[in-house]
Amino acid sequence: MSNYTGVKEQEGRGEPATSGGRKLYTPWRLGILFGAFLLILINPFVNYFLHINFIQGWYQSFSAGSLWFVSPLEGLESLLLTKSVYMPSLIGMAIPVLIALFLGRVFCSWLCPVSFILEIFDRIRKFFGRRKFLKNHLLVAKKVLWFILIAELLSSLVLGMPLFVFLSPPGLIGREIMMLVFFRTVALEGAILLLVVALELFTRRFYCRSFCPLGGLLALLGRKRRLLVQIDQARCTACGICSKVCPMGLVPSEGEGASAYCWNCGECLDSCHHQALHFGWRDN
Amino acid sequence: MKRRSFLKLLGAGLGSLAFLPGSAGAGLVRSPVVTNRLRPPGAVAEEIFPAKCIRCGRCVEVCPYRSIVMLDIRAGLNAGTPIVEAEKIPCYLCMKCVDVCPTGSLRRIRQQDTRMGLAVVNHFHCLAWIGTILCRTCYDKCPFAEKAIRLDQLRPVIDESACTGCGLCTHACPVTFPGGMKAVNIEPLYAGKKVTG
Repeated sequence: MSNYTGVKEQEGRGEPATSGGRKLYTPWRLGILFGAFLLILINPFVNYFLHINFIQGWYQSFSAGSLWFVSPLEGLESLLLTKSVYMPSLIGMAIPVLIALFLGRVFCSWLCPVSFILEIFDRIRKFFGRRKFLKNHLLVAKKVLWFILIAELLSSLVLGMPLFVFLSPPGLIGREIMMLVFFRTVALEGAILLLVVALELFTRRFYCRSFCPLGGLLALLGRKRRLLVQIDQARCTACGICSKVCPMGLVPSEGEGASAYCWNCGECLDSCHHQALHFGWRDN
Repeated sequence: MKRRSFLKLLGAGLGSLAFLPGSAGAGLVRSPVVTNRLRPPGAVAEEIFPAKCIRCGRCVEVCPYRSIVMLDIRAGLNAGTPIVEAEKIPCYLCMKCVDVCPTGSLRRIRQQDTRMGLAVVNHFHCLAWIGTILCRTCYDKCPFAEKAIRLDQLRPVIDESACTGCGLCTHACPVTFPGGMKAVNIEPLYAGKKVTG
């Protein structure tokens, strides 16, 4: 391999050849995931016990003062099903949609409370399990993501009522926490969350990969995103570790970091021993 | 599990939904708005309410009286939508919920223009009407007394031009039946109207 020498040189230059590469993004991502989860965990308590309503809601609609966010999927369905436009909800969707357009599906990997729970689950599994990487037992074509999104929108339109109520786990988590704090009860639809976590035993991010309608919509918006995982072919030794750590089952070393399915979590960047992968802006 | 068998299982599960008995299928989309079960103030017609509402729960969080509760999966696809249980905790018309709704499911509206429903006195159960005692609890509790509830020969009479359907009278009524019905109940008459324009 011609680039083998290049790697040697680089190690010789004093950069430590750690087992997992440089952990640049993972600590930040876990921190942000934790913070985002903590926010919707603490918020109902503040609302309920202190009657402070400055920050409200969870990731279906979130508000800090007069700054309102509306989740794109929920907002879109609200507009489609009522066949009318309501400006405040459109404006609330603007920032999430812009983020998805420029950065891709980063909500899923950097903010989503389900992602946080599954990350914790991953770590517990690694702690108790013998294998470092989970073998993905159950693989479904990635394209299913689009069909689920279409099916979800169409069946909601037929029923005249949105199906995200049960199919969008990020909203479910917020609802469960709020139910618990406000009414001292859990809603039965929380079983769906347990199912999502249980599927994680078979395949990493099974639900996120091909079944989450919100993820599907964000991935669709982020198809032409600017932020990409790019590969430096000269440095890549084709060791394949990036495809092992990728929670979405992609192969970054073959340029799949630019595909619509990549959610820019940066795990492959941190796993690479040779810094062959990096975030970069798409050139137009 | 093989992928094929998993997909078959998934397909069978989804396909069998079509064979649900009609009642179960109807339960999925049945409106939870019935007597004494009302949408919060300013709600759009029930025809589009479950479609417009994104289940963000902000009206539930902001309600200082905890009047607004959130439905769960037992309400089918209405899970997550807000409801006021009039005989348990009525609506005090503080109008905080209408300010936070991000989708316009609850429209901004003045207190006296709110129409969550209409109070209906049951003349066969109301103590004043059947003549047991001189009860005027509903009249005393009504936030629009003399307008929404008048006393006609010491018996309560509702004026539909002023009644907001807040449920304060229902909550206060001393006559309670098993199941929560009172001698004065709120009927969600306006929820059934069609959306125009």
